[in-house]
Amino acid sequence: MIPAFLQRPSANRTLAGVLVAIVVLMSALNPQRFPTIGNLISMSYQLPIIAFLSLGMMVAMVSGGINLAIIATANFTGIVMALLLRAVAGDAAEEAGAGVALLAMGGGLAAALVLGAVMGWLIAYVEVPAILTTLAMMTLLNGVNLVITKGYTLSGFPEFLLGVGNGMLGPVPIPFLILVAVVMGMAVFLRRTRTGLGLYLLGSNPIAAGYSNLHVRAVLVRTYALSSAFSALTAFIMVGQLNSVKANYAESYLLVSVLACFLGGVDPFGGTGTLTGMVLAVVILQVVSTGVNLLRMDPFFIQALWGFIILVLIAAGFLGERLREVRRLRAARLAQQAAPGSTVGTGP
Amino acid sequence: MEEFLRLEKIHKSFVGVHALKGVDFTLRKGEIHCLVGENGCGKSTLIKIISGVLQPDSGRIVVEGQPVASLGSAATMARGIQVIYQDLSLFPNLTVAENIAIAEVKERGGGVVDWDEVRRIARAAMARIRVDLDLDAEVGELPIGVQQLVAICRALTSDLKLLILDEPTASLPKHDIENLLSVVRDLQAHGIAVLFVSHKLNEIFAVAERITVFRDGERVATLPPNELDDDRLVALMTGRTLARKVFAFADASARKVLEVRGLSKRNHFADVSLELRAGEIVGLTGLIGSGRTELALALFGISPAESGEIRVEGKPVQIRSVQDAVAAGIAYVPENRLVQGLVMKHSVEANVTATVLDRLLGRLGLVDPARKQALAREWIKALGIKVSNPAVPVQTLSGGNQQKVVIAKWLAASPRILILDGPTVGVDVMAKAAIHDYVRGLAARGMAVLLITDEEAEAVANTNRILIMRAGRIRDEIVAAAAEAEQVQQLVEAPS
Amino acid sequence: MRAEGQRLAGATVAAMLRQLLRHNETWLAILIVVLCAGITIANPAFLTYENVAGFLKSSSMTGIMAVGVLIVLILSGSPDVSFTAIAQVVEYAVAVATLQWGGNIYLALAAAAAMGVLMGLVNGAIVHWFRVPTIIVTIATFNIYFGMLYVITHGKLINLVHPMFRDFGNTLLFSRVSSIGASYGLSLMTLVWLAAVLLGWFILRKTFLGRSVFAIGGNEVAAERLGIAMLRTRLFAFGFVGLLSGVAAVVHLSIVQAVVPNIIVGKELEVIAAVVLGGASVFGGKGTALGAALGVLLFAILNNGLTLLNVSSYWYNVTIGVVITVAITNSAYQALRRRRARVHVKVEA
Repeated sequence: MIPAFLQRPSANRTLAGVLVAIVVLMSALNPQRFPTIGNLISMSYQLPIIAFLSLGMMVAMVSGGINLAIIATANFTGIVMALLLRAVAGDAAEEAGAGVALLAMGGGLAAALVLGAVMGWLIAYVEVPAILTTLAMMTLLNGVNLVITKGYTLSGFPEFLLGVGNGMLGPVPIPFLILVAVVMGMAVFLRRTRTGLGLYLLGSNPIAAGYSNLHVRAVLVRTYALSSAFSALTAFIMVGQLNSVKANYAESYLLVSVLACFLGGVDPFGGTGTLTGMVLAVVILQVVSTGVNLLRMDPFFIQALWGFIILVLIAAGFLGERLREVRRLRAARLAQQAAPGSTVGTGP
Repeated sequence: MEEFLRLEKIHKSFVGVHALKGVDFTLRKGEIHCLVGENGCGKSTLIKIISGVLQPDSGRIVVEGQPVASLGSAATMARGIQVIYQDLSLFPNLTVAENIAIAEVKERGGGVVDWDEVRRIARAAMARIRVDLDLDAEVGELPIGVQQLVAICRALTSDLKLLILDEPTASLPKHDIENLLSVVRDLQAHGIAVLFVSHKLNEIFAVAERITVFRDGERVATLPPNELDDDRLVALMTGRTLARKVFAFADASARKVLEVRGLSKRNHFADVSLELRAGEIVGLTGLIGSGRTELALALFGISPAESGEIRVEGKPVQIRSVQDAVAAGIAYVPENRLVQGLVMKHSVEANVTATVLDRLLGRLGLVDPARKQALAREWIKALGIKVSNPAVPVQTLSGGNQQKVVIAKWLAASPRILILDGPTVGVDVMAKAAIHDYVRGLAARGMAVLLITDEEAEAVANTNRILIMRAGRIRDEIVAAAAEAEQVQQLVEAPS
Repeated sequence: MRAEGQRLAGATVAAMLRQLLRHNETWLAILIVVLCAGITIANPAFLTYENVAGFLKSSSMTGIMAVGVLIVLILSGSPDVSFTAIAQVVEYAVAVATLQWGGNIYLALAAAAAMGVLMGLVNGAIVHWFRVPTIIVTIATFNIYFGMLYVITHGKLINLVHPMFRDFGNTLLFSRVSSIGASYGLSLMTLVWLAAVLLGWFILRKTFLGRSVFAIGGNEVAAERLGIAMLRTRLFAFGFVGLLSGVAAVVHLSIVQAVVPNIIVGKELEVIAAVVLGGASVFGGKGTALGAALGVLLFAILNNGLTLLNVSSYWYNVTIGVVITVAITNSAYQALRRRRARVHVKVEA
């Protein structure tokens, strides 16, 4: 399954170690461009998108499911926002004020929440497997997105939205501040609320969770609504950074978000996975991606690299298991040699 | 009688545990032999060595007079030894015919499958134990008792000499146990030895010719059943004698905590009425399929009743969900601890506090971690759960301690009414006694307890009244103090 | 006597019908017939030899892949997603190699199949030895195969391929000539698809290897205890999806006669959806080759029908999304009802 070293309590320390090693490596390979303030700022611009998508994937996976529709939902949210802006402000969308922009964001978020709740309802109440529900939703939304945009890019967003994606507050990019706030909120949600704690219980064993005074179905619906809310957040940042929406932006991030969960120690069968692990995993992926990019490597090489990283993690986990097994056997043999023929065990 | 299998001085160790300490064991041809002992006594290790899953560290194995170096899985099958594990190892997605024939088809080298031949093999195996199953039924859709027969038929497709049944009756309803035991006698008539591994004591006496008792990795006795009774067997298994106490209900006029009138649910149960007084322990028994667990699930809101009245402390309550039941002060310790009772991967703390998260809210309506941990520690102490700290995953605990966690999590919800469904299934003798004592203590402090059990003796010793369900209705009620286990059993199995 | 016989025959027919209706394939076939009737009423050009032969040809690539995807899904209860990347790599390699060295179509097919098998075996070996879910392993290999393809080729299109692919792709059986002078007929590509389905059916239904795939998908632990060859069966399944991806790549190359290095990838979820629509369980252990073929056929008809009804092709995904949603919701709902209706207790009066 997930390599054991990513699931042990010390896993996050291992991840932190990996992160430091990669930062050092990248800095050594590219001392002029990697370890600079400019690069740090540019990474903190890019990080939120992949982080939000990965967190959206994470909550679905902790519940024992998966959300294949996160990217489609994000694009749909962006398109809803664009349509709302046009409906309210017409051609003057670009000059629209913060109020109108917030209205569009609210509308987009509401649309995402409804989609998430619909998926959650199908998964919780009709008991359709999550992988199928979200696959169907993804296909449907991709279609709807295409029908609405006819494959074109819709652009021209108000200043306020561009600020959300691109602005700076002092030296810190606004999207990064949003990310920090959201991660803190998630920490409280996952550890201190009934829904958050219940999410882990039902992910491990939905039946026992249901027998334990937990409203499993309601929690599932909320989980997928939350997962979709992360898609909406992604859309806010994406719209702001690209000043446009399209039917199929960021499609390749679907696999990256699954990879982030894997790296962060989330069990695809549900029930485990820490926020710290996820944050570390997402930062590692961003550092690797930026670092390799700055080395002017082919972006497709980065894609292949993700694949190699998964395989290396799988192999490392396996080798870790094997090594522990060998050590166990050796310990057992030594114990026996120490007391040959003795029938005195250390007791069961 | 001729010997089929002889084990001499078998030793087997795992890291830190000496599981078998020089065990000698013989099995005769065509005998029915039972292996009993508490959890961790070494009986499963012995089974695994006989079936070739594990290799002994030292010792000698003799099969039909010939010493064998070690038994590999394939080698044991070739020698006519087959194991049916508790999980039955069937393929739920395949038909009865294919499940039975698959091993034989594989032995013949696979290749292209002749479906007529598959059916012939399956029919021949079924004929040997005189059962007639629908060959085209998908195994996953069949009741567990029928699945067990499918597993036995599969074992019969080979040249079977020894069949090992690992806890075969743990999940079987009573009439299926009868059925299984008659099949076992049938196998014996064919000269096939059967080695039973079992927890339940009464059924052992019904079939066994010899009973071997294990304790702490050693064989303590091998005896015919007529030299053993319940008390002696328990003494051999535990090395201790248990004082038997009978539950006495102190105050027969205590207030009625639960009153149920005319409760019904289609295809589950009909017209059930019962009362529970404070401090009372009432037994509820019946065969699987009699509606007893279904009744409990309705009272707990998992699958609510369709009509009838439930009153708690005299006030009528609607129970449509678990939340309603909990609000009414009803707690339910479910039958299947692993699936329904516990989230095994998670900590003792997470499990104990799962039912009461809404009572642990601190500032801003958030769960207070300090209070959560304190509550867990409190219950670990109260129930004597053996665990180093509350963050330890439940799956690392022993069966008895796991069961205590399930009970703790429901007591944490401070219920008025506690429904216990098979609270001592798969729990060894000492832990069982501890659980009984604890439940009596709860009753003494005013808890109303409904104890659902398969074991008549457990009901007789630990309750003051026993309700007996048949075919979805409560048919009899007897006073426990005046009853014998045999009498209860007759009522349970009486035609409705 | 005769009345009795007729009654019996009637009962048998009714029982057979009930039996048939329990199969997912029957419902799918009914849906396809209804859909065909509807489209034909709207546009009679739909149910013509030329049109049907046309969409049977154009969906042959996904049809071939679907058979392989099915077998892995039955085996592991987790979908392979790398098969499109395998096909993409094979297509590119075969196109380049044949331009370089020539050869004939059989050689090309054999080389494509061999390459596909090798890439599939990598998946199988990792899944077996490292005990990781198929979807995770194949996400990794998808990225590696596809990423490396671009790294090596820089995504360059190949507009001119060896003429043998055109000949292979244009081979028709029962061909006729249309009013505008173009010939049409049953494409050889469709027959390759048919052959793949028949092969899949034979393996799954008639060989012990195929039954082992079901056994492992149904209960892995029990299969291992029974001594079923786990490694061999896994390698077979993953090798087989690789083989079919290789063949599908040549079929695709022969139809489009050009290589766009990202045209096949992206179809993986559609193929998986078709297989699931055909009745394969996402938890493994269940599925049929006929169902997988019908699933692909349904999508092909939808696609073609929309075109003939002059609906913008943008609506294709919407339609497919709706069809998948309705189908999976319906089958989940039926299963839920069956579970709820199961009698627990025979309550007596």
